[in-house]
Order: sequence, then structure tokens, then C-alpha cells
Amino acid sequence: MFNRRTLAIIKRELKTKLLNKSFIIMTVLVPLFMFGLIGVQVFIHVVSEDESPNLLVVSETENISKKLKNEFDEYAEVKLGNYKISYETIDSSAFAQRLNNLRDDLLNERLTGIVYVPGKALVNKNVRYYSSNPSNRALFDKIRPGINKALINIYFEDKQLSREDVEFARDNVEITGFRVTKDEKVEEEGYGNMVALFLFTFLLYMALIFSGQSTMLSVVEEKSSRIVEVLLSSASSTELMAGKVIGIVITEVIQMAIWLLPVVMLITTSWFMLPAEFMLQLDLSYILYFLINFTIALFTFVGLFATVGAIFDNPQDAQSGVWPLMILVIIPFLIAMSLQSNPQSNVAKITSLLPFTSLMVMPARFALVDVPVWELALSFAINLAVLFAIFPLAGKIYRVGILVTGKKPKWSEVRKWLKG
Amino acid sequence: MNALEVTNLTKTFEKIIAVDIASFNVPEGSVFGLIGRNGAGKTTTLRMIMNIYKPDSGEIIFRGKKVEQDFKDSVGYLPEERGLYKKMKVWDTLIFLSELKGKKGKNIERKADSYLERFELTDRKNSKVEDLSKGNQQKVQFIATILHDPEFLIFDEPFAGLDPINTNLLRQIILEMKNEGKVIIFSTHLMDFAEKMCDNIAMIDQGRIILNGELDEIKKKYANRNVSINYEGDISFLRGNPIIEQMEDFGNTTGIKVKKPEQVQELLRLLVEHNIVIKKFNADEISLHEIFVSLAGKEAVNV
Repeated sequence: MFNRRTLAIIKRELKTKLLNKSFIIMTVLVPLFMFGLIGVQVFIHVVSEDESPNLLVVSETENISKKLKNEFDEYAEVKLGNYKISYETIDSSAFAQRLNNLRDDLLNERLTGIVYVPGKALVNKNVRYYSSNPSNRALFDKIRPGINKALINIYFEDKQLSREDVEFARDNVEITGFRVTKDEKVEEEGYGNMVALFLFTFLLYMALIFSGQSTMLSVVEEKSSRIVEVLLSSASSTELMAGKVIGIVITEVIQMAIWLLPVVMLITTSWFMLPAEFMLQLDLSYILYFLINFTIALFTFVGLFATVGAIFDNPQDAQSGVWPLMILVIIPFLIAMSLQSNPQSNVAKITSLLPFTSLMVMPARFALVDVPVWELALSFAINLAVLFAIFPLAGKIYRVGILVTGKKPKWSEVRKWLKG
Repeated sequence: MNALEVTNLTKTFEKIIAVDIASFNVPEGSVFGLIGRNGAGKTTTLRMIMNIYKPDSGEIIFRGKKVEQDFKDSVGYLPEERGLYKKMKVWDTLIFLSELKGKKGKNIERKADSYLERFELTDRKNSKVEDLSKGNQQKVQFIATILHDPEFLIFDEPFAGLDPINTNLLRQIILEMKNEGKVIIFSTHLMDFAEKMCDNIAMIDQGRIILNGELDEIKKKYANRNVSINYEGDISFLRGNPIIEQMEDFGNTTGIKVKKPEQVQELLRLLVEHNIVIKKFNADEISLHEIFVSLAGKEAVNV
């Protein structure tokens, strides 16, 4: 299988891929995109901080209004004059009328929003917000503690409690995660590994889909341009397939390594200063694990996509026939993303050891928790076993399919090819 | 000496028998034609020789050795449906395809250059294949087929879709290769070409070899009962005559096959007796087409 012909085909693949403009652009753009995304988020954060909302706080009783004002006056934003808050006390029956009068101000944003705190809020803590932009989470997060404190103060006012009791009652529960690892360290957990989960899962997903699709299309093209029969007059179909798959895997691993360079620099050097809570709790062995797992995933999926390409002789038919493979990539991707809620759930543990899903779920899990070595080894063994089990079958389909043109083959026919 | 011996080759697709116990030999130094209608099994046979298809049964022996992967290195194969990588440069294509055959280095590069010059493609050597005219793409494909200096050439319907210039070019290549002592197999449904170029032929119909041997011998064997005539008058009286085996109108000429060689004289006598004006009476000629028709039978007007 591996000989000078395979080598010649690998060389050709590398040459056409690595020197391809879109490959170079992709390789450069993705890290830029990654950093760009972070940059944009920081920028948006800064910009939205910069906004100076003009709020009207409407409450049913003087007492509530007064207490709210006391709390909000403590806000740095209010002290600096970034937040402009005015207070009104209106009876609940008159509020609808007042709201109607202010409609124009709300619509042309002279008034950012109205916070309505009814008397009932003292019982159920339900507060309403009226605005032309009613889902302003950033603002809610800002004003919620103030309102909460005010309501609690009023609630306990006449209950003869000590100040400490009130302080305790109005404090929210803070959960800080600590990562327990083998090396006898207990580290405070930040968002870093959540970022890592999204980053690595997304990269893996994207690379598999892109490389799979481009492999499939390039096989279809070889078929439809009829070069394939010329190639088969020199090489066997196995050599052809092996050369193609190996060539693509090499280019993709190179690309992934380039993509991961910024991450490697992030965790090995102090060139980039990230807030401590965003620091990735990963070391180089994870990167190495990720690349090895990625290589196995590539062999599996590139091989399968090449096989699907060999079945069809035009891109449209191939696209419509590739859905079973897409599902094999998308479902593990969704499971991997869902690990953020609990990376040690039974679903996570099982799917990180199942064929195909393991390729994406295990690296995602490993980014969040210390997976026991035996589980990693088992997932490797399973994935390699799957790889060696499907390649002979894929090879058979490829061998027959690559020379079949004309009518779109039925699945039942493809099954027959397996027997040949 | 036979360069290639094909014995009892069989290949079935689903329920269709594409090649049915086919046997034939290709002598050393010959131009061999595999002749048959479209769908007769020519391409399947050639693909089995090339080891692209695995035969269901049968054997292919090349110079005493079973045909395997190594055989491919010594063959130049031009498939019926030709194709190249569209985005690849002409030069890269040639170098890549001969590297696949195990030939690379200065020697091949020099040869590639000289072929490109001969086929007037030197200025296109760094162009992408897709930017070439169809005729020039065909030329590139010819060069790719012979660049690695194969001992054995297989062309599947080589003249299909070629313009007159490339047809001549390819004919030249085939003749040159023949003079260099190379073995050439080509398949065609064009009897005229086969007749002009082949030393040996095998006729294939519905997967079966219906005729195989040296062209001259075959012609001699079939000609002695065959007469082709040009005439004026009505020869329908010949229908049903006991000496006539078959009669076929080719438009300009009519081919008549008698049952025994000595009945040719009697045929002439009958024509004269019936006052037919004979313009040409050729008792020793038969075209490959006539032979094919007489064997495959489908198009013949049965008497």
C-alpha cells in the first residue's frame, strides 16, 4: 500500500494543497478570526460600558423610591454621572397612563428605559423593565443587585434584625470552582477551560467538515474529469486512496498545528497577558493529545468522505449522499458542546468512549477535567480499531465506485460492492 | 512469440456478462486491434488487461508472467474517456504521471521537453491544463501516455473525438512505436482504421471473441467465398439460389457470399446469363466490415 506510487500521489496532494491560495488564506485567517472574535467582544464590552443610560425608576411607594435611590447612589456609574437615574412614585393605576406619555421618549431613546418596581415586588421580587431594547442583559446585571438590596432592606426594616443578619440575607451565593488535579495542586477554576472547550471543539469540528468536504469534492472531480482511469493505469485503487487520504491528513495536521501556535504561545510564554480567570489550565501534553486524536479523526473522516466521493460522479449527488457522514460529525460536536454543563455526566462518559463520538467528545472532556489515562487509552484503542475496521470496507466501495459513472447508484448497489 | 496471452477471460457486472470466456493472443511486435461494436466488451477487456478490473476468471500472461501491478509500469494506457487534472500545469502533469510509472529525473524532463516541442506545446508548458484547447489537451494526454517509454501500448478507442490533425498525429505515434518494436493494442469500432493499421485482430461481440488471428490470413480465409460487385440491373433472382449463402448491399457495392469457393465462377455465369451489367467483379476482396457483419450477423440482409 505504501510505495513510490503512493508517495508520488501524496506529493502531488501536498503540492496542490499547501500551495493553494485558499489553503494559505484559511490558515492565516482562522487564528486572526479567533483573536478577532475575542477582540471584538472586548471592544463591545468596553463600548457598552461606555454607554450612559438614562433610566427612570418608577415605584409605588415613597419608601421604595427612597431605598432604591440610596442603593443606586452608591454605584460608581451614578457617582461618575454615567448613569442618569430619576425617580418617580406613582400609583399602579396611573402607571399605564404615565408609560403612554413617555412612549415617545422611549422610542427616540431620550429615555433608555423605565424600571417599574411595584409594591408587590416586596413579596415576589418581580420587577418590570420597559424599553425599546428590553433585553439589555448588561444593564440588568448592573441594576439587579441594587434593586435586590433595596427590596431586602425594606423587607427586614421592621423585623428587628441585626445589620449582620440583613447583610447575610441579602448576599448572593458565590460559587468558585476549584480544579483538583493529580499533581497535588488545587487551582481556582476560571473561564479558561470553558474557552478551551469551545475553542478546541470548534476547531476540530470545522477542520473535519472542511477537510471532509474538500476531499469528497476532489475525488468527485477526479471521477468526473476522468483522470482517475489514467491514474489507475499506473496505481491501484488502494494506492490511490491511501495517497490521497495521507496527503490530505498531512496538510490538515500542518494547518491545525499552525492554528494551535497562538494557543501554545499562550500557555508556554507570558507574551500575552490574559485576565487570570481566562487563563487556559492546559499544558503542552493536551495539545499533543489533541493533535494525535485529530490525526486519527482525520484518517477516519477523510477516508469516509473520499469513499462517498467515489460513489457519485457529480458534486450535487455527492452533497445529497453525504448526510450520514455529516451526522457523524455534527452529533458528536453537539454532545461535546453540551459538556459545558457537566463534563462528567454519564452521557459524556459513554459518548467519549463510543466510536466516532469519542473523536470529539473525549478531547472536549479532557479540556475540562482530568480524564483517567486508561480512558484515554481505551478511546484511542477504540478509535484505531474503528479506523482499521472501516478502511477495508471503504476501500472496496472506493475501488468499484471510482469507475462507475452515469446513473446515480442506489444504496443497495453500494452494499453489493462491499461483497466484491 | 506471443507478447500477451489472454485465456478464458470472464467478467460479469450484476447480471450482465460483459466478457464471456474470451481468449486471444497478441504477437510480439504487432499492432493488435480489438474490434467490436459499442458495448461489446472492449473496454472491460482492456481494463482487465490493465489490472484495473479484476476478472471473475481467466488469465492474462504478459511475456510468460501473470499480469500484476508491475505490468502497469511498462504500459502506456490511453483510456477512451480521457482526462487530466484541470488545474494542474502541463509540465507538472507530465512529470507527475511519469513519476507514477516510476520514471523521473533529467532524462524524462529532457524527453518531455522534446515531445512538447514536437507537438508545438513548448510555450504552453506552464499553462494550466484547463486553459488549453481541447486538441492541445489531447496532445498532452498522448505525451503522458508515451513519455515513460512503455514497451506496451494500450489505446481504448483512440480516434474517438479527435480532430483530423490529432488523428494523424496519433497514427504517426502508433506507427513509430510499431517501428520501435513495441506492442500496440487498440480497440475500435471503426473497421476502416483497424483494417489499415492492424496486423492482428480479435473481434468481440456480446463479450465473446468471434474471430482472432492475423488480418491477412483472416481476409484470405473469408475472401475465397466472397465476391464484391458493382452492377446495373436487378439481381433479386439470386435470392433463394442454392449457391448463395448471404447477400449484403453496402450501397456502392454488394457483397455476396457463396457456399463453396468453386461456386464463384457459377455466380459470374448466372449474372451474365441474366444480362446484368457488371462494372466490377472482385472475387478476392473482403472488408473487415463485411467479415464482422457476416460473423456478428445483426446488420446482414439474410438471403
